[in-house]
Amino acid sequence: MNYQELASKLLHTAERVQKHAHKLEGDTINKSAVRLAADVDRFEEILSGFLASRKSGELFLETLLRSPAAKKYVTLELLRKALRETCSKRLKSEELGGAKREFIEAVHASERAEPAVKYLKHAFAEAAYVPPAGKDKAALQHEFLQLGRLSDEDYATTIAKRTFGELRRLAGTNGIRFTDKTTKPHLIKSIRRYARRLAANLPT
Amino acid sequence: MSTKVLAFINFKGGVGKTACAVNIAATLAKLHEKKVLVVDLDPQSNSSLWLMRPDQWREHVAKGRRSTFEIFDDAIQGKERFNFAESVVKGVVTWTGFVEVPQLHLLPASVELLKVEDRIHELRAPTVYRILERALKDHLGAYDYVFFDCPPNLYSTTKNAIFLSDSCIVPYIPDYLSLSGFQVLAEYIAELRGKYTDSAGDRRHPNVGGVIVSHYRQTGNVFRLAINELEIMLAELRTHGILETNVSLLQPFIRHCVRVAESTSEHLPVVLYAPGCIGAQDYSDLTQNFLTHFHHKR
Ligand SMILES: Nc1ncnc2c1ncn2[C@@H]1O[C@H](COP(=O)(O)OP(=O)(O)O)[C@@H](O)[C@H]1O
Ligand SMILES: [Mg+2]
Repeated sequence: MNYQELASKLLHTAERVQKHAHKLEGDTINKSAVRLAADVDRFEEILSGFLASRKSGELFLETLLRSPAAKKYVTLELLRKALRETCSKRLKSEELGGAKREFIEAVHASERAEPAVKYLKHAFAEAAYVPPAGKDKAALQHEFLQLGRLSDEDYATTIAKRTFGELRRLAGTNGIRFTDKTTKPHLIKSIRRYARRLAANLPT
Repeated sequence: MSTKVLAFINFKGGVGKTACAVNIAATLAKLHEKKVLVVDLDPQSNSSLWLMRPDQWREHVAKGRRSTFEIFDDAIQGKERFNFAESVVKGVVTWTGFVEVPQLHLLPASVELLKVEDRIHELRAPTVYRILERALKDHLGAYDYVFFDCPPNLYSTTKNAIFLSDSCIVPYIPDYLSLSGFQVLAEYIAELRGKYTDSAGDRRHPNVGGVIVSHYRQTGNVFRLAINELEIMLAELRTHGILETNVSLLQPFIRHCVRVAESTSEHLPVVLYAPGCIGAQDYSDLTQNFLTHFHHKR
């Protein structure tokens, strides 16, 4: 069910009750009518509270603050900055849950839902952004593939010209794990192994 | 409104086509206020069952009616029964019984789609590849995004989706079998592109727009090595003109997360079922970058 359907349902029932009101009587339907009226009263109360406290911008702000990105990126620091920049207010809470509530209330009081939503969306987008890999990485990956295509002898002569630092950069960029204790000969062997695997796995 | 139409394809199964289509769609609708349509083209009906309760789905698509099967069946039988408005399901039903994310629409599949491939060849090209286009073209304009969740093959239904799409998205599990499959897939799409962009007046341009890594695990360097191989393969295929230059390995990688698997049993996208889990966070960040990649900023 959605609220459009609920509205149609209520209208349909209301029309039928109105049309037949003069002939409705008896315990069963009377009792049910009293129950329905009480339920409608309760619903009206919740509805009024809802409409009074939240505009659609604020509702969306709450959705954003409960979103996966919020869980990952919302900190006291971010809320402090957001509140200062969108409402010119200072955040008092020192704990995240309370700070989120305070933030929503402050935004509501200053009617600044729209800029607050914009601020958070922008912050989330920035945080998720992964800069494209630089030319360096592409060059090291290309070199790795070329090494894999060399014969054993050519590999040995080519690799011998590399410094340990260059080898570590080559290995690191190409997903080969090593530690501070990994020796140069060991690294040369690892690079050979995975570069050959790559060359074999890729079309020529 | 300019609609982005994307086909989630891979002829491997279990690589996250459905998971990506469903969860990116739900994130776009819920957190970016986009209107999104998911079109389920797989007889397994996985995206339908992810977004609908089984009983609700069975009733909706009884006898293959009000499903994508009807579109293809109409074409084969020369009938016009498919009715978009009656077939489309709006929003998902949460545990309260109420509908959430009303901006997310689904055109469900039904198992009868299994029969389509056997009979579709009674139709001739190019009609056979324009069945979806004919049935949907008047309806897609109402959406910001349309996602085709394709079966794990490249037969006629998938081809229909590729021809109607601006780009293909390829979900990918980092291992060698995926790598070799990806190359075949990229070459196949390049071949379609060569064949069809040549014919005069044809605006269709089959291409791979993005690759999404799914089921990623950080343990050891197994996956890092496999991703490195994928990146180098992408660069090579670009150099040879098999992939176009704008193809992107979308970030971040979707990590393996049991909550994502579990959300299928709850018939809810993970952003509704467990918004705090790492799977939801990965889809959220991915969707953010997805929007940037497809130049569809608000
Ligand atoms: N990030 C994830 N973590 C854990 N399980 C996942 C994840 N994404 C998908 N799955 C599960 O993996 C299986 C295959 O994914 P699916 O999207 O159905 O693949 P496809 O559509 O390519 O066949 C499904 O059972 C799904 O529940
Ligand atoms: Mg699937």
